[in-house]
Order: sequence, then C-alpha cells, then structure tokens
Amino acid sequence: MGVLGQDIRYALRSFRRAPGFTFVALITLALGIGGTTAIFSIVDGVVLRPLPYPQPERIHRLVRVNARSTDGSFSAADYLDVKRDTKAFVSIAALREDIIDLTGRGEPQRVPGAQTTGGFFDVFMAPPIAGRVYREATDQPGAAVAVISERLWRQQFGREAGAIGTKVRINGTPTEIIGVMPATFRHPVVADVWTLSPLEVPVSPVPTDDGLSSRDVQYFMAVGRLDETAAIGAAREQLKSVGARLAREFPDTNRDRTFDAQPLAESLVADVRGALWILLGAVGFVLLIACANVAGLLMARGAARRRELAVRTAIGADRGRLMQQLMTESLVLAGAGGGLGLLAGAWILQGLMALAPDNIPRLNEVSLDWRVAAFTLAATMAVGVLFGLAPAMQASQPELNTDLKDGGRSGTTRTGARSVMVVAQVALALVLLIGAGLMITSLARLQAVDPGFRTTELVSVELLLPQARYSEPLQRQFYAGALERLRANPVTARSALIFPFPLGGSNARADFEVEGQPERPSSEDAHAELNMVSDGYFATAGLRLIDGRDFTVADGPDAPPVVIVNDAARGAFGGRSPIGARVNLGTWVTVVGVVSDARRQSLDTPPQPAVYLPYTQFVMPYMGVLVQTGQGAGATALVVRAAVADLDPELPIGEVKTIEQLISESTGQPRFRSFLLAAFAALALLLAAVGVYGLISFSVAQRVPELGVRLALGASPWQVFRLVIGRGVQLAVAGVIIGLAVAAAAARLVGGLLFNTSTTDPVIYACVSLLLLTIAALACYVPARRAMRVDPMTALRSE
Amino acid sequence: MNASAQPLIRLNGIKKVFYTDEVETHALAGIHLEIQQGEYVAIAGPSGCGKSTLLAILGLLDTASEGTYTLNGNEVANLSLSERARVRNREIGFIFQSFNLIGDLTVFENVELPLIYRGMKAAERRERANAALERVGMAHRAKHLPSQLSGGQQQRVAVARAVGGQPSILLADEPTGNLDSKNGEAVMDLLRELHRGGATICMVTHDPRYAAHADRGIHLFDGRVVEENVGTVV
Amino acid sequence: MIKLSSIEKSYRHGLSQTFVLRRVNAEIRQGDFVSIMGPSGAGKSTLLHILGMHDSAWTGEYWLFDDPIHQLSAKDRMRVQKQHVGFVFQSYHLLDNLTVYENIDLPLSYRDVKKSEREGMVADILDRFNIVGKKDLFPNQLSGGQQQLVAIARAVVAKPSLILADEPTGNLHTDQGKEIMELFRRLNEGGTTIVQVTHSQANAAYGKRVINLKDGWIVDEN
Repeated sequence: MGVLGQDIRYALRSFRRAPGFTFVALITLALGIGGTTAIFSIVDGVVLRPLPYPQPERIHRLVRVNARSTDGSFSAADYLDVKRDTKAFVSIAALREDIIDLTGRGEPQRVPGAQTTGGFFDVFMAPPIAGRVYREATDQPGAAVAVISERLWRQQFGREAGAIGTKVRINGTPTEIIGVMPATFRHPVVADVWTLSPLEVPVSPVPTDDGLSSRDVQYFMAVGRLDETAAIGAAREQLKSVGARLAREFPDTNRDRTFDAQPLAESLVADVRGALWILLGAVGFVLLIACANVAGLLMARGAARRRELAVRTAIGADRGRLMQQLMTESLVLAGAGGGLGLLAGAWILQGLMALAPDNIPRLNEVSLDWRVAAFTLAATMAVGVLFGLAPAMQASQPELNTDLKDGGRSGTTRTGARSVMVVAQVALALVLLIGAGLMITSLARLQAVDPGFRTTELVSVELLLPQARYSEPLQRQFYAGALERLRANPVTARSALIFPFPLGGSNARADFEVEGQPERPSSEDAHAELNMVSDGYFATAGLRLIDGRDFTVADGPDAPPVVIVNDAARGAFGGRSPIGARVNLGTWVTVVGVVSDARRQSLDTPPQPAVYLPYTQFVMPYMGVLVQTGQGAGATALVVRAAVADLDPELPIGEVKTIEQLISESTGQPRFRSFLLAAFAALALLLAAVGVYGLISFSVAQRVPELGVRLALGASPWQVFRLVIGRGVQLAVAGVIIGLAVAAAAARLVGGLLFNTSTTDPVIYACVSLLLLTIAALACYVPARRAMRVDPMTALRSE
Repeated sequence: MNASAQPLIRLNGIKKVFYTDEVETHALAGIHLEIQQGEYVAIAGPSGCGKSTLLAILGLLDTASEGTYTLNGNEVANLSLSERARVRNREIGFIFQSFNLIGDLTVFENVELPLIYRGMKAAERRERANAALERVGMAHRAKHLPSQLSGGQQQRVAVARAVGGQPSILLADEPTGNLDSKNGEAVMDLLRELHRGGATICMVTHDPRYAAHADRGIHLFDGRVVEENVGTVV
Repeated sequence: MIKLSSIEKSYRHGLSQTFVLRRVNAEIRQGDFVSIMGPSGAGKSTLLHILGMHDSAWTGEYWLFDDPIHQLSAKDRMRVQKQHVGFVFQSYHLLDNLTVYENIDLPLSYRDVKKSEREGMVADILDRFNIVGKKDLFPNQLSGGQQQLVAIARAVVAKPSLILADEPTGNLHTDQGKEIMELFRRLNEGGTTIVQVTHSQANAAYGKRVINLKDGWIVDEN
C-alpha cells in the first residue's frame, strides 16, 4: 500500500512537472471521451434508445406495400380484414392524429391528440401513472373516456389525483378523464389526449359515403403486438395471404398491393437510418483519433524517459517494479482524463443542445449516456495502459549502457510509428470534414432554394374547426367572418386563407384529369396537389398570377365551380391555354387562372402540378390564415385571437408560426445531420491538431541536439522554423492525400442525403484540405518557435 | 583581405559567469587571446577549466558575459541571433567530439547542409561537397548513412562538412575524444594537412600528445590562461 | 572479490568489426581503490559498465565474489547487482522529479527495505554527507557538486560493497572535484571497494592503483 501511495504521489508530481505532456494528454482524453459521449448521447437519445415498453420488439407497425413503395396508412375495410384474419397478433389497433379542443376548464385549449381504437393500450402495454387506460375487452367503442398525458395533467390539474374522473369537453363532447400516461409514452405519435373512436376504426376527418366499407381512402395507421408464441415470419405470411386475397377480390383498389409488418422501433428510425450509420461511423473515427493520440503521447513519453528508466534499473529496480510504476501513472492519467472527460461530456452536451436546431424530436430527453462514457473510457484506458507499459518492456539490460550514455537521444529520431498514426489521424479527420462540408454545402443550397413564395414577413395561424359544432355552411361562414375582421385591422390587412400551409407537411392530393385530353396510362400518377384558398392568397403569399384571374367573392357556393392551376400543371393541357378548360377533380371544375409554381412538400422536391380551389366552394375545417405583416408573430396572434373570440369564444386558435419557422422545420433533418457531423468533424479536427502538435513538439524535443548542430552549422532560426513546420505539413499532406482517397470512396454513402451537391465536389475537397493543412501548420507553430530558440551550445555537449 | 597586422581573432577581457541557485560560477575569468590567420592553436586543460565554454564563445554559439570579440575585423560580441547564424555559417567550421552528423541525412547531405543554409545554388553545392569529401577520402561513402560508418569515418565526414564552406577558422572540440588511438591519429593527420593547406585551426583537447601537433598551446585552468607555449611555426 | 578473464567486446559496422575491449584480465581485491585510465575511446567506460552489469553484450568470464556473472540470467545479474553494487555517473543522473530525500530513498525501496528502517538509513546518510538541509530540494535547485554528493549518497545508502564511478568529477569545478574525491577516500577507508574511471592524474592519486587501457587492451597495471 505504501508503495502504491508513493507511486501515485510520484505520478501526480511528474505530471505537474511535465505540464505540456499532461495538458495534451488530458485535452485528448477530455475531448475524446467527452465529445464522443456527448454527441453519441444525442444520437442515442434521439433515435437509438429502445422503446420504453414491455417486450418492445413485439410491437409492430402494419404497412401496405407494393412493388415500389411502403405506405403506412390504411383504409377502414382493409384494416378490418387484416385485424380479423391475422392471428399472430394478440392485439391490433388503429389510430390517427387528431387536434383536440379541450374546453370546460378555464381557457379553451388546443392540444395534439390521438383518436384510437379500443386495443391501442393493449398493444403498448404501458401502465398509466394514475387511473387506468381503456381496453378492448372492457371499453365499448365510443365510450366518452379519455387518457391524458402527464404534461396536461400537470398543466391543467396540478398533478392532483382528483383529475381522474373529472369531466371535460373534448371537441365539444363531455368526456371523462380515466387515466394519465407517463411522459415516456410518446409512440407512435406524440399526444396529450387519447380518445376512443366511436367506430371500429378512427373516424375519417373528411366525411366518406361508404364509411367502414371504403378501401380507397387511407387515413390512419395500424399497430399490433405479436403473440408471445408467434414468430414474426408467421405474422408476415398471414399478412401476405390476406393481401393476396384482397387483391383478388378487390382488384380496383388492391391490385398489386399486400400487407407487411415492421418493428415499430425500426419504422421510427427508418427515415434517419442512413444518417445514423454515418454518425456511428463518425463516432468510431473520432474515438480512433483519440486513441491514436493517447498511444502516440505515451510512446513519446516512454522514449523520452529511457534515461530515467535506465537510471532506475541501474540503482536496482526490477522490471516488475517499473511496470507497476508506469501502470500506476497510466491509470492515474486515465482516471484524471476520464473524470475530465465526463465533465467535458456534460458541458459539450449542454452546448450542443443549446446550439442544436430546436425542432429535433426527443432532444429534451437526451441525457449523458453512461454506457458510451464507460466504453470510451475503457477504450482510451486500454490504449493508455498498453502504450504506457511499452517503455518498461523495452527497459531491458542490453540497451542500458547506451540509454545512460546518451540520455535517450540517439542519432536518428525514431518517430516512424507515431508519424503513421498522425497521418492516419489527419486522414480520418479529413474524411469527417469532407462529410461535414458536403452536408453543410447541401444544406446551404437547400436553404437557398427559391420556394416560389415569400420567405419573410408571413405569419401563419391555424384555424381548425371542430366538426361536431360546425357544419359546412357554418365553416364557410366562420372563415369568411374571420377574414373580414382580420382585413379590417391594419396589422392583418393583408390576410388570406389557405389549406394546407406550404411546407406544413400535409400531402392532400386529387386525381387530375383534363377534359378532351387522352387518358394517361395508369402507371403514370395523374395527381395534382390540392389546395383550398381564399381570394387574395396569391398576392399575400407572393405567387404571380400568370394568366386569367384570381378568385372573387362571386365564386360562391352556388356559382359554377372554378379552379386555378399552377404553371407545372400546364403540361396536362396538351399545349392549349388552360383558361376555360374543364378539369375533373372528382367533380368537374373550370380553370379560370394560372399562377406561378411554389414548393409545397419540401424545399428539395421540385414544384408539382397543383390546383387551387376557392374555399367558398370546397371548404375544409382545417383552414388557416396567412398574414403578410411586418408586425411579427406575437402581434398577429393577438389580432387573430381577438377576431376568433369575437366569432366563437369557445374556440382556441391553433399554432402560430412565421414563414421562417415553417421553412426551418422542413429542413430539420438535414440540419440535424449536418450539425452533428459538423460537431464530430470539429472534434476530429481539434484532436488531429493536438496529435500533430504532440508529435511535432516531441520530435523537436528529441531533436534538440540535431537542431543544435544545424544552428551551429549556421542555419538561421528561420530555417529551423521552416524545417519544423515543413515536417508537420509534410505529415499533414500525406494524411490529406490518403484522406481524399478514402473520402472520395466513402462520400458515396452520404450521396443519398445530399441536395444538388456532388459527392466529389472539388471546391469542397480543396477548401477542406486547405483548412486542415492550415490547422496542421498552426499546430506546429508553437514547437517550431521552440525549435528556433534551441541553444546551439547543445551541439558541444557530448554526453 | 585584411592587413596581416590584424589578427583573425581578438578576444579582450572575455568573462563568462553561470548562475545556479545561490552559486555563481566563473567559467571564464578574463581571457585575452589573439589568433593569427593560418595559425594552429590548441587549448588544453583539465575537465571543468572552461575550455569548452571558450570554444563556444569563439564559435558564436554562446555569448560572453563581458569583454569584446573581433572576428576578421568585425565586432561580433553583440550580434542578433540571425546575424550570428550568418557569421557561423560563413566564417566558422565546427568539428565536434561526438561527430554530430545528422542521422537521417546521408554523408553527402550532411556535408551539403551548411551550404544549403548559405543559400548556395545546387550545382555549386554539389561541386563543393564532393570536393570536400574527396579531400577527406570519403567520396566513396557519399550515399551512406552515418550509422553505416565507423567513428573515425564519421569524424572525417564531419571534417569535410566543416571545411566545405571554406570558413575562416576551424573549431575542433576534442575531435579525437570518441575515437581509438589509430583513428584519432588519422583525424589529427587530416587536421595537420588542412593546416598546411592554409587553414586556421583552434582545437580543444586534454590530450598533451595531440596538443603538441599545434603551433601554439594555450593552457586553461579554472577559467584563466595559465600558460602559453609556442611550438615550431610552420 | 572481482576476477575478470578474457573479457572482450566488439561492435559491427557493416563488414568491419571494431573491438572496444580485447582480452581484459584483471583482479580486484576487497578494499581496493582502482582508477581505470587511458585516452578517450580506450574502453574505460565500457569496462566499468560491464562491471556494473549494465552491459551484457560481451564475452569472457566475470566472477563477483562467488557468482559467475557470465553465466547468470538477466534476472540473477539484477539480484547480484542490487546486492553488491552502487553506481556514480559523470552526469549524476538524479531523477529530476524526486527530491533529494526521495532520490536517496529510491534504491532502498527497490530492495524492499521496511519503511521504518529506510527512514533511519536515509537520515544517517543525510547526516554523514552533511546534506540534511537540502533534503526537500529538487536536483535542479542544487549546484553540480551538490548533485554529485547526492548521487554518491544514493549509491552508498544500500551499503554496497563495490562502488563504480564513471568520471565522477568530469562535470565539476576543481574544488568541488576535490571534495568528491575526499569523500571517496573516506568511503574506501571505511571498507568499500571503489573502481573509478578518470582522466585526471590528480584523481587517480586518491586511489591505490591504476589500470591503464589503450584501444581496449590493458597496457600496464601498477
């Protein structure tokens, strides 16, 4: 024990007395452990963590597949057939996202909700934290019961137990709150209220004529829990056979289609899987760089300590004792670095979360991942111990004499292994930097795309109407009244109605057939994006009227139905002017105008053919108001709320967003990817710089006698400076060349994630290489300055 | 170039003091010394007498605490770092006890190195370096690394490196210190030959046999010149 | 105490072979004080390092007391060295990170001496060498002479029967050198056998006899 205590004390002291080495080692460990842990914690928290339910691997999402695509939405009749005929699932449930107006308790509230069938909680088996949940076995469809989220419980009821059993009005219907779900219950959609559908399927948001027998309107998703005894293979077989039967019986709607099941966790990360692997690769790269740094540092220290170890051996230390001492030092260093790494990890995580785009799902749940921390710590520690012990292994008898004589500085400087490691570090860092460079360029190009509408001074406010209280005429009346009141206010004078908002995520489409044009082959989808707007929408949103006219008040419910098409839709008119042509969108309408194109789905999707219908003729209870104003979202929201309250005091307004928010949310995924990869690349760059610095300062220290000789021979300090910088740049150039080759091959992996950016964009490759070379040269600056000040007297000291 | 009346080197009242902790060590305590063009001077004395310090000051590797130093008519005691490097490069050729060849460079590259620092053109460098290697009989080993040579051969390469730039003076620090007597003799013969060819040489040694090779011996003891004896002038 | 017969050591340079030591035969009795002299490159230090078992690439026979060093494994040599030998270097080789006290304590800790015992032994040595006041200083806070004093204290603390010294005054001023040689004389009078390498006739005069080496051969012994 005494010996160990002494070794620890000596270790601490020797670190204090070698501040350069200690600084570099601790920085490397702190950044390597802290950085990878922090970034990986985000990846893990956002996408990787298993679902917090019993046997989560048994929960599946049911999907419809054809040869080309997989689609997660079901029609009522298909769902009912699947539910009845697949026995491998203990329970199957359907749900759709819903907007819930909560009234009867204080201010009207609008919250996200889910309308589900009775088996929903049987699928997830997540226990409530208060009260109970509804079950297929005990609760009838349409029972006026609701389960609320912990958030709502806290906000509306102050977490009181008395909330259970309370009656509130949900979308106007008196409903009893029966239970509270924990904050971790957020699959497959995030909701604050779960309600029980009155039917065997969720209620359609648009009235359908054929209800439960419809196979051509898909509007909800389905989930199922696999039976304990059933294999997923059997379940998929059953789904396939149901699909085959329906395809035979209903070729009009189900030809070439069948059903399948995906593990829910997998379906949730499906969109980001490609990015995920890239990020995991990046974690590995950074960790490799950090380990190479630690190994290189310890090798350097070992080489520099050959004299000390020789002296110790000469005065009687055996190899075991030397190993014990070096082991202690390695462990002390790894311990300190690990502690610092965890601290740095917590800080970096906080920093990253502050810097991260704010629309990343689950980001607020992210916490430091201890498993990752432990793994990175173990990896660096193993490397530390391995390379820390190497000098003790070398300190064997035959070399002792020379080690004592030349104090561990022999004629040639042996830094071969370390040079290889530094070259590898630079190469790895370059690959990451190029990846980040490609992503950032792609993101910049995406954000620079002209969407076709105004990108500033627009505020959107959702104005959803509960269908229970608003019939179609009442909807028209409400929206007209709202628009009239808004236009009367100077703040919102330039207002218009629209459904859906651009980049708002809605995918409403209609079949599109022009009178007098030949029918297109069925393989070619003849669809147009469907929009409902008020007059003045084009001027407000910044679209140009190319031909014909805008809608007017005259286009009322009883006037002939009219439509305005966009530029991209013109192709369907066979070269004739669309004005006056008749189009079948389910009903026949006459084209009265043509407007310029605008992107609706996302910035990277080119404009599609689109049709605009007047809300006065085709109303939807989901309209929103778009205001062109310089007053900002807050002022606009106040005016809209006042106008709505004037019409219906029970009605809350929906989400208020600026156009900038809508655009940035639509680019959330690529921004998150770019952000994380950039963070990794920055870390890699920093570590590689530390590596270059470490090697070059070590080789300067090793080469002091040689530099002394060079100075004695008349090298000017500047020539020595250039020699040292040149050595660093030489290594960096080697690393860059290898890195460029690797990057050119690896970049294909990110190709699918890029927008308008070539994976071999020479400008990016050149800029990133230049950046890396500059950083490497900077990393050599301090040791090069030190080399300039070497005392040429050292050339005379022969011992 | 200079009038023969003016010595190549003139040291006047050179002192060197080292401070360690509370101890003040006088390595050189007032040295007066003149070296004429073409002279061969040996500095002798026991370990710790200050002869290495004196050589370092002569070679502009170190600066004196006090005193003046005139080299080739120029005052060089107070030059800047890079001016000193320039003077070292052009005026002085070093021969070290432990040879100090650069291990990563070949024999030829070692000899060429001072000429590169001088900014000489490649063709001229090659010519001069080859001539110098020829002179010390090492031209056939030009492509070898120092580690492939024996000590005596390494020292001959070091001599070639020192004379390649045609310096005003050769400074040799115990040039035979790491050699056996046979190789030591060979190096001493080489120096004498260079001296006959007109080179000015100043050598530090504690071996009286080698000191006898010189025209003049200077004996140092505890930082002072205690004895000067003039041998036969060639 | 020491018997050397036909000790040889050589290096290879490509095809040529350079002998550092040739057929060295010598005997050193307990209580002797031997100076190894000769010109630079004669093989003095090499011989000393062979005696100190820092060098194992040689041929011939080397007996230390009853141990045939030439037959021992590295581990056993280590044990013999620990038991009998203390080494003093020209450039002191104190460990920079340890205080004077810790430097002197180190050989004892490597010999697994109990802590309480060690304290007494180190204190004794500090007293004898008159360096109690310096015990908490680090080597770079001492002058060269003081450092060498500490190095000798470290060499003798484990009570070796043989002290090997490689130009112990080589880096020192004359006065400091004299002090060190006086110390060696006192140690020798106390019964310790000393072998030193030196250039200086004055230093050799402290010893009882001289072994002269030239080009690896013993040229005369007196």
